[in-house]
Amino acid sequence: MVRKGLPGGSFKPLSDDDIESIHQTAMRVIEEVGFQVNSEAALDLFKEAGASVDDEQRLVRLSQQRVMELIDSAPSEITLCGQDEKHDILLGGNRVHTGTGGTALYVFRQETGQKQPATLEDLKSIAKLVDGLDNIHLFLLPTYPNDLPIEYVDVNRFFAGLDNTSKHVMGGFYTLDGARQVIRMAEMIAGSRQKLRQRPIISMITCTISPMKLDKEYGDFIIAVAESGIPVVCPAEPLCGATSPVTLAGNLVIQTVDSLMGVMLTQIVNPGTPVIFGSVASTTDLRDFKYLAGSVEMGLINAAGAQMAQFYKLPFYATGGMTDSKVLDAQSGYESATTSLLCALAGANFIHDAAGLMEFALTACYEKYVIDNEILGMVMRAVDGIEVNDDTLAFDLIKQVGPGGNFVSARHTRRFMRSEHYVPTLSDRDSREDWENRGGKNAWERAAEKAADIIAKAEYSLPAPARQRVLSEIDGIID
Amino acid sequence: MLDLIVQNVTQGRASQDDEGLEEGWEGQPGVTELVQKALDAGVTAEDIINKGLTAGMVIVGEKFESKEYYIPDMLAAAEAVGAAMQILEPHLAKSGMKAKGKVLMATVKGDLHDIGKNIVSILLRGAGYTVKDLGNDVDTRSIVDAVREERPQFLGLSALLTSTMVQMGEVINELRETGLRDSIKVIVGGAPVSEEFARSIGADGYGADGFAAVRLVESLGPSQQ
Repeated sequence: MVRKGLPGGSFKPLSDDDIESIHQTAMRVIEEVGFQVNSEAALDLFKEAGASVDDEQRLVRLSQQRVMELIDSAPSEITLCGQDEKHDILLGGNRVHTGTGGTALYVFRQETGQKQPATLEDLKSIAKLVDGLDNIHLFLLPTYPNDLPIEYVDVNRFFAGLDNTSKHVMGGFYTLDGARQVIRMAEMIAGSRQKLRQRPIISMITCTISPMKLDKEYGDFIIAVAESGIPVVCPAEPLCGATSPVTLAGNLVIQTVDSLMGVMLTQIVNPGTPVIFGSVASTTDLRDFKYLAGSVEMGLINAAGAQMAQFYKLPFYATGGMTDSKVLDAQSGYESATTSLLCALAGANFIHDAAGLMEFALTACYEKYVIDNEILGMVMRAVDGIEVNDDTLAFDLIKQVGPGGNFVSARHTRRFMRSEHYVPTLSDRDSREDWENRGGKNAWERAAEKAADIIAKAEYSLPAPARQRVLSEIDGIID
Repeated sequence: MLDLIVQNVTQGRASQDDEGLEEGWEGQPGVTELVQKALDAGVTAEDIINKGLTAGMVIVGEKFESKEYYIPDMLAAAEAVGAAMQILEPHLAKSGMKAKGKVLMATVKGDLHDIGKNIVSILLRGAGYTVKDLGNDVDTRSIVDAVREERPQFLGLSALLTSTMVQMGEVINELRETGLRDSIKVIVGGAPVSEEFARSIGADGYGADGFAAVRLVESLGPSQQ
């Protein structure tokens, strides 16, 4: 039983008044302080859309009314399609999904203790692995292929994803030309330009710069993707004490302003563009200014971000499920589980980075995908909550069994035991004797075996005609 | 017909009112109805047992071993087979098959735990044994009397408390003193019980769980009377 897209929202770190205060403060920032836009084209677009622009400082200011109009023109639901329809994801409301994240420069295998620069082959293997892990709903391209020249990175990354998993493939890109090639490739696979727009099997990530800055390159990227009509995420990455106030509320203000910058630009370019409000907000280690990926506050601000997205009726891209640990150990487990759970219970639509990342998100770990798949299965069970009705209250059964009786042979037990209780895919529940007889393996050792098994048995590849066409018409793809 | 019996055993459906493990079985005949139909159609009890019920339980056992099936799945299948065996009993002699034997079950004096004993009873019935369950908190005298009257081949004793497990030894001593010990195989089980403890009190065997108990009874074979 795979749980995905279930409604979260039982955890609300912000009250309605809190949400209103963060919203009003964010609006004041956009109205009174403004944000800096370093893309000439983006600056012109904001000007045409009625923003007041200080050309010298390249500062854009918009009225609250105009901001809300632009937000309203964005769809509140977006379907991210898999090549296989069973992997389609409807983002919006408080429905919860999970996925991988990136972009890690290294891969680590706990089995060998080796950390190495990630290669294209690693990316293919991780795509195969994620294809076989049911509690990871979406494949966000997780690693950078260090063995390729930059001009071939984009097409090869997306090809590696699309050719090894039938789940939706989301990713960032490194050159505008690369992005165009990727879209062309996806159109061939989808069947046509039109069909890709109807069933987007890819989506793209661009970035804004916190605090309150739209970079030249990323501004141009956002415009290009919005023109293409491909779903796009505009995540902001305010870090407490570094690129946002150290306070969590202050971080949320910056997160809101910065992500809305991107959302607004897409709607000016192409009203109705499927755009996802995104947060990569986190905290910093103020002893040495490192980015942190496993702090509990990161879970809190991303959970709160989900509430802000629900307030604006925008689909949400959250960040959770990572660790700062360098190996798979207790820390990697508790950090990953804590932040994923907080985001999920708040109803975050898509929790990205939720599998496979360690060491401040610098490193992807094969075994961790399998472990996180288990964490996410438990997280989604928690989202599922407790169903209360006559059947589950079971008065008739209680009466029938009576005092001192037992429920083990009741039909009711059999009917509900699999749906009411999460069935582990990795956790050990054997007696000590049985566990020892099976080799006494710990979680990461079992995860290593499972990862190797899934990768070895992986079968998915692009349908032959589309694959052939892509390979012959798109330059630089390494098969 | 026999295939359907196999399928319904694996689905754990004793009768047509039972739901199966998978969807869509409700309303269709279950194991008891199918067994009656098979008898009416002239299929021998031997074939029904070997090619239907037992074949089904073998699959259930495999699925349980591989952790696909849970205890309630196993129990539902065993209950279905147990119910079918009751229908088949009068036909066994005709078919020339010998009954597998009778097992007397009890939780010993001072102990009110009976889930484990009940599971073992269901599984033994599912394996084709006749089971007489004396209940829980049964004193030694009553157990010995029942052995004398019922003449079972096996006696299964259960205890869940370290304070009551010693009662098992007393039952065996009493059987010895009354000259009944050699007529019966005594097996013991329960959370605090171990192989070592079973040996120390002179029992014939120990089963760590219900399935081990069935294997144990099968391996001890028909007792020499």
